[in-house]
Amino acid sequence: MAAVDDLQFEEFGDVATSLAANPDATTINIEGPGETPKRLGPPRGSGREEDDELLGNDDSDKTELLAGQKKSSPFWTFEYYQTFFDVDTYQVFDRIKGSLLPIPGKNFVRLYIRSNPDLYGPFWICATLVFAIAISGNLSNFLIHLGEKTYHYVPEFRKVSIAATIIYAYAWLVPFALWGFLLWRNSKVMNIVSYSFLEIVCVYGYSLFIYIPTAILWIIPQKAVRWILVMMALGISGSVLAMTFWPAVREDNRRVALATIVTIVLLHTLLSVGCLAYFFDAPELDHLPTTAVVPNQTVVAAKSS
Amino acid sequence: MNETDLAGPILFCVALGATLLLAGKVQFGYIYGMSGIGCLGIYALLNLMSSSGVSYGCVASVLGYCLLPMVILSGSAVFFSLQGMIGTVLALVIIVWCSLSASKIFISALDMEGQQLLVAYPCALLYGLFALLTVF
Repeated sequence: MAAVDDLQFEEFGDVATSLAANPDATTINIEGPGETPKRLGPPRGSGREEDDELLGNDDSDKTELLAGQKKSSPFWTFEYYQTFFDVDTYQVFDRIKGSLLPIPGKNFVRLYIRSNPDLYGPFWICATLVFAIAISGNLSNFLIHLGEKTYHYVPEFRKVSIAATIIYAYAWLVPFALWGFLLWRNSKVMNIVSYSFLEIVCVYGYSLFIYIPTAILWIIPQKAVRWILVMMALGISGSVLAMTFWPAVREDNRRVALATIVTIVLLHTLLSVGCLAYFFDAPELDHLPTTAVVPNQTVVAAKSS
Repeated sequence: MNETDLAGPILFCVALGATLLLAGKVQFGYIYGMSGIGCLGIYALLNLMSSSGVSYGCVASVLGYCLLPMVILSGSAVFFSLQGMIGTVLALVIIVWCSLSASKIFISALDMEGQQLLVAYPCALLYGLFALLTVF
């Protein structure tokens, strides 16, 4: 295809030759010097089309390309969803880092997502979280009841499916409800900031990342430690969410805005406390005497025999 | 990478089942099931992430060939139990080895620079399931 041949930005090594072949390419560099290193990276569909436009290449190829881009594929093909997986490793790491370090005044969506919401991060973070919670829950139950003769440990695989349902429902239904709510308020009050559905899904997905190490640390059977972890994780991810959505509701009625933010944080709290309560048995104090008694009995039995 | 060679992968799956059999576990059904579904998942993911598509046979071929270190792991399970610190460390090393080699082949074949770790992570989850099968 001639269109593919014209796209010489694809190869790392060929950039020099393509710049030499297309003297028009220098105009791109002047207009966007900061963007060029990014463009030199992996070739992406939308970037290619913009470059072609600026290059002023063969008109027929350009229109053909633009027409191809505008034609949206039906939603049951892979091509429809390909734009949502258009991320590199460093971008995913950047977004994860952004969700871990909430800086007041810095909007997660504005700073990291920048009109390129991806589904890779939310999907795999939720999957990892499901496995982390299920595995740590089983492990912590095993460790708590270790040494008890009356307790027979059975790995509960049920918990994986329950965890999966809860977390994926939270990661998709709550953004959907929030998006619908923001849309409704936008029709009443003109807001400067409005988020698309996928951007909200993205924020929620990446904000769940902090719970992965938290779930692993929840294995420690100390109530105080667990609750401190809950507070910390809730603080970080709750503040990321609050700071993301505050600009979106700021222009609204004061009470509605506050109620929205409080609801977001409350639902987040419900998720974390619910996971802690359901998947992790409480390390009750009456377990300790039984573990102390049992070794004594075995020692006495050994002595008497 | 349009040639889909499934002879090698099928041989490695059977070899994995055979070495597990030597260790006393009859789990052929799990191996075939997990391979099939895992390949399907990775096929969907790669088609979403790469600009050029990939065929199912190619995915199955690459994943099958990169299963060879797992056969080494299950072979070593015949001689010593893997349920200790050595076994855990060895299993982790083998998982990382398998997934890095599989992702390297995928990104070089599909021209997806800068996404190696993104492809390696789901492969690591898949090979982790195989390792769970081998160790427990």
